[in-house]
Amino acid sequence: MQLNDAGALAGLKVLDLTTARGHLCGRILADMGADVIKIEPRGGDDGRRLGPFLDDRPHPDRSLFFWFYNLNKRSLTLDLKNPRGREILLALARGADLVIESFTPGAIAELGAGWKELHAANPALILLSIAPFGQTGPYRDFAADDTILTAMAGMLYVNGSPGQKPVRPLGLQAYHSAAYYAAISAMCALFARDRIGQGQWIDLSMQEATISAVEHVAGSYFAEGRVEPRRGTLHWSRYFRVARCRDGYVMHCSLGDWTSLAQWVAGDGKAQDLVNPEWEDVLYRAEHAEHLFDVLDEWVKDYARDELLERAQMLRLPYASVRRPEALFEDEQLAARGYFVEVEHPELGRKIRYPGAPFLFNGTPWRVRRRPPLLGEHSEEILREELGLDAAEIATLAAEGVI
Amino acid sequence: MATMALEGLRVLDFTWVVAGPVATRILADQGAEVIKLERKPGPPGSRQIGLQGDLHRNKRSIAVNMSHPKGVEIARRLAQISDLVIDNFSARVMRMWGMDYASLSQVNPGIVCVSMSGLGHTGPRSSYVSYGPTLQALGGYTMLMAEESGEPAGFGYSYADMSGGYTGALASLIALWARKRTGKGQFVDLSQFEAVISVIGPALLDISANHREQSPPGWTPQEGPAAPHGAYRCRPRDGDDDRWLAISVRTQAEWDRFVAAIGDPGWAADAKFRTLYLRMRNRSELDAHVAAWAAHQSAETAMQLLQNAGVAAGLVANGADICARDPHLKARNFWGTVTLPDGRTTHVTGIPMKLSATPGAIRTVSPEIGSSNDYVLGELLGLGRAERDGLIADGAVWP
Repeated sequence: MQLNDAGALAGLKVLDLTTARGHLCGRILADMGADVIKIEPRGGDDGRRLGPFLDDRPHPDRSLFFWFYNLNKRSLTLDLKNPRGREILLALARGADLVIESFTPGAIAELGAGWKELHAANPALILLSIAPFGQTGPYRDFAADDTILTAMAGMLYVNGSPGQKPVRPLGLQAYHSAAYYAAISAMCALFARDRIGQGQWIDLSMQEATISAVEHVAGSYFAEGRVEPRRGTLHWSRYFRVARCRDGYVMHCSLGDWTSLAQWVAGDGKAQDLVNPEWEDVLYRAEHAEHLFDVLDEWVKDYARDELLERAQMLRLPYASVRRPEALFEDEQLAARGYFVEVEHPELGRKIRYPGAPFLFNGTPWRVRRRPPLLGEHSEEILREELGLDAAEIATLAAEGVI
Repeated sequence: MATMALEGLRVLDFTWVVAGPVATRILADQGAEVIKLERKPGPPGSRQIGLQGDLHRNKRSIAVNMSHPKGVEIARRLAQISDLVIDNFSARVMRMWGMDYASLSQVNPGIVCVSMSGLGHTGPRSSYVSYGPTLQALGGYTMLMAEESGEPAGFGYSYADMSGGYTGALASLIALWARKRTGKGQFVDLSQFEAVISVIGPALLDISANHREQSPPGWTPQEGPAAPHGAYRCRPRDGDDDRWLAISVRTQAEWDRFVAAIGDPGWAADAKFRTLYLRMRNRSELDAHVAAWAAHQSAETAMQLLQNAGVAAGLVANGADICARDPHLKARNFWGTVTLPDGRTTHVTGIPMKLSATPGAIRTVSPEIGSSNDYVLGELLGLGRAERDGLIADGAVWP
């Protein structure tokens, strides 16, 4: 059982050199049991300066942004521009399975710790480079944040109302999509290593990952030459649209058992022409979605959100209430599955509820092993345990500003 | 052909709609043998292009009737020679067939079962019927995709299917990796609902730790202060006035380069734009100036101009921009090409990860339902022609 308690990825060693745009990949691996060492520059990782902050008090050890993306990692401060710092990195790389970096392309090679040096130090090592536009191509050196990436991946254009300015999603969705594809690519390279006997270099383009996280844009273009417009809340399949109800909004869905829906609406005296037999055809409903939803809008407007949701689900109709994210903390389903987990922050004398894992593994469960690290919290421990340095050597490194 | 990362892994794929097929597509692109177990064939030629072409390429398909005991028997025999069984049904379906982990692990202790249901197999709402848009709404994410008035303005697509899909692929690989060490398979109960709420993680922490009510972000920068930061409408292109340029300017050096690149306009020297703090405070006025400048620019040219100056700027690309015009994606050979049954070719979304030694490949177009019946039943299960014909005559397999 002890083996399993250690997590699915126990035994994997990961050096995480990422800047804020690449943080999540290492977090995902750490959650599943990999030993992920976050290597931070002097003064701390850029993510520590991003809000929101706990109690809105900015401090490198109070960034909720940093906390979310760095749970379960250890922290080592290391000046990679210092030759001794570079040596320590290469020494750590000899014992590691994976290095993740998200610098501008070519930057780690300039530091003398690029693919060539890392591969020479440890041929089994996998290098995962996450960059806005990847390591090759004419836009390779383009500057980009998450906003620019969602724009150039076609995600931004399709968010919002027709004719209006595109709407930015909440959260850094290009970074998130890239992180998941990055973690997948790292797992693939690990499987490959068992067969081909060596590591490889992964070129992960955040633009390409984000394109892969938009459902319909490329498919519509290649199949029909159609440029997908902004459609407001009308889903491109034309089976879903948001409606205002008595106390907020609900999500219509015209898939599912039409007879149940039509009878319900008719019973409320709001069916208008929806009683006609042509509406039984799901494709007809999609074709005439605007009229369908206009009629249904009139029907739902006097319902309370949750009343409608419960009754619809009883009838197996995939309706939803449009809830606020705050409601998730009161959600019985999430509570029953233990989605939110308390993480102790002894340095603050507080416990904070964190969002947890989107899956339950019955053999090697997801687990919080350690709260997000304080800046440089594990520097000594890592140098001692991984590289066998003694207290005097570590003190010298600290005095010289290497760590 | 180059070796593939996931060669040797066999996946028995019960998934349908979008999220599940996204997960198994990712595995198939890297060399796993993905066998879709499907229902009766529909009209041929309906799923080789567009989203369907993206979802099912590189996979095989068999047409097996799971309402027939011999159909279930075929599925169970396939599970014995597979590494992963994956579905996105509600909890009761696989159990009803005896295809759940508890049953399958008795005949194949190494099997990994991943179920990607809407809200998970446990909990009071596990029986909810849902699609991606349902989950986005329940998860609070639809509410945050809104105009400044607060009126919901999206999503016009199922983001939850994509987040559920990549989470499913990742969970599968992690469980398969654990098997190398423990020697045992396991059951993964994935909730697509939980996958899509995880994409707003820092906001959830802000709610739990700071008790702050979340509001739609609009164009408020989300990675520390930035101004200008927004989408600015540009000159029409071929009569299309829906052309926008996204710009993000953070540091003082970036601001100086931005101002120089757009030709040192007089307004930029105004004291109220002197520091980032002041630019944030006077953001709407600044936006009006930038918008007036952008209105006369071509979005593509302005992007290049600003990028040449080291300023983060990008075209708000539409489908034609990314699929047909983006020179960078072309240079990286991002889009894949597949040959259709009639000999024509079509493009599909590429593989968003380039592994130097095992790059993955788009090898085959989406299969017709049942097109691998002979390979799977004959070569993998060793059934002779007569036995296969018998299964068809019994109605357990569709030809």
